[in-house]
Amino acid sequence: MSDPVILALSALNKRFGKREVLRDIAFELRPGECTLLSGGNGAGKTTLLRILSGLERPDRGRIDTGKGPLSWRRSKAALQKRVLYLHQQPYMFDGSVRYNLGYALPGGVPKPLRNALIDTAIDWAELGPLDETPAKSLSGGERQRVSLARARLRNPQILLLDEPTANLDQAARRRTLDLLKCFKQEGVSLLLASHDPMHFSSLIDRHLHLYDGRLAALEDQKLMQIPPLHTLASLRSTA
Amino acid sequence: METLTLTTLAALNLLFSGNAELWEIIAISFRVSGVAILVATPPALLAAFFLTYQRFPGRRLLISINSTFLSVPAVVVGLTFFILLSRQGPLGEWKLLFTQTAMVLGQIALAFPILVAMGHSALQAADRRAWETARTLGANPLRALFTIMREARFGLMAALLAAFGRIIAEVGASMMLGGNILHYTRNIPTAIALESSKGEFAQGIALGLVLLTLAFTLNALLQHIQGKGQPVT
Repeated sequence: MSDPVILALSALNKRFGKREVLRDIAFELRPGECTLLSGGNGAGKTTLLRILSGLERPDRGRIDTGKGPLSWRRSKAALQKRVLYLHQQPYMFDGSVRYNLGYALPGGVPKPLRNALIDTAIDWAELGPLDETPAKSLSGGERQRVSLARARLRNPQILLLDEPTANLDQAARRRTLDLLKCFKQEGVSLLLASHDPMHFSSLIDRHLHLYDGRLAALEDQKLMQIPPLHTLASLRSTA
Repeated sequence: METLTLTTLAALNLLFSGNAELWEIIAISFRVSGVAILVATPPALLAAFFLTYQRFPGRRLLISINSTFLSVPAVVVGLTFFILLSRQGPLGEWKLLFTQTAMVLGQIALAFPILVAMGHSALQAADRRAWETARTLGANPLRALFTIMREARFGLMAALLAAFGRIIAEVGASMMLGGNILHYTRNIPTAIALESSKGEFAQGIALGLVLLTLAFTLNALLQHIQGKGQPVT
């Protein structure tokens, strides 16, 4: 592991009311690495992704973005600059596919360059025929491709994906995985939350499992398996 | 029945013959209510946004207080501003009583809670992922705010039209704060009240027809906007 760490978490905790959703979470993310985050429903996967994207504030813990200890406000700003979070069901703004892609570009980009960048993203995600289609009328697979193309235009260091292949048919799932591979090859660190690891076997380098609010790193040979509950109950945060 | 028909015909004649006095009253109405809506809308929508997206102590209380103001009669709003702006009142030095500015202030106070309540409902109905997606795609809070407003625009337009419809037809606040001065603060509702009390029904009916046409136009617009806002299936 000679690659530099681009994001490090330590002793991260989050509670909703009396329920402790995340306990002493610690792990690191590196460029070009794909990490799978598994866990049952309500295990805290989405909460963890939302904290990493700056949308949710942790109760305790440290998120190191390479700038030393920061207040939550500054950490949030640093996270929002380099991390991009994709919802389980990507949100499409009211407008065409082209409008949605353009949203990811900063306001100051000149129009010809803007159009060229959008065209490149359209080609990349094979969205050509859908260029001017209202984005809200797209199917689940098409929305996923638009959201990934939008992410590519934003050019993040870390991409957080919440169940990116849920409710997709086999063809749409394959296309989504192909696009994710492109991100990985370009050095983007991927963190995928899913309770179905088998879908990502060709992509992932590391498998973290959330159980009872704690995180466990699984060995290589167990990369694709969800461990039985009795073994997880005794696990401590080892990631 | 015959009297009503004759009066209505006289009213239509007044309207379509371009009676200067009548059209001046209509213009004052639209000017005062238009300015009131323009001034009230930005802070009201901002308040609606904070009530929807921010969690802070007393938020629910604020929503309840705002809802209470929805049912305050226009004449009570008029009376409150009358006391504030009268010569002996705390704002008496401004010398605003019986001016169009005073009418605008009263109408802002009437429109504000409607805009906040309906704006809050519209923003609550909008998908919360819109804000999160905008922020995660690099939009600063201001751009994300405009994005949310754009996403909820049909509901927000409905709020705007409802508030405009309410204030252009109110008589209590305009009468107390404007004083019903011809060529200056006489608007449609205060003119109807005055002309009817004098037994001059033709002008009252003519102005009533204008309000009725306006109400129809606003409702038709509202229906159109709400139809456009239906989700794509």
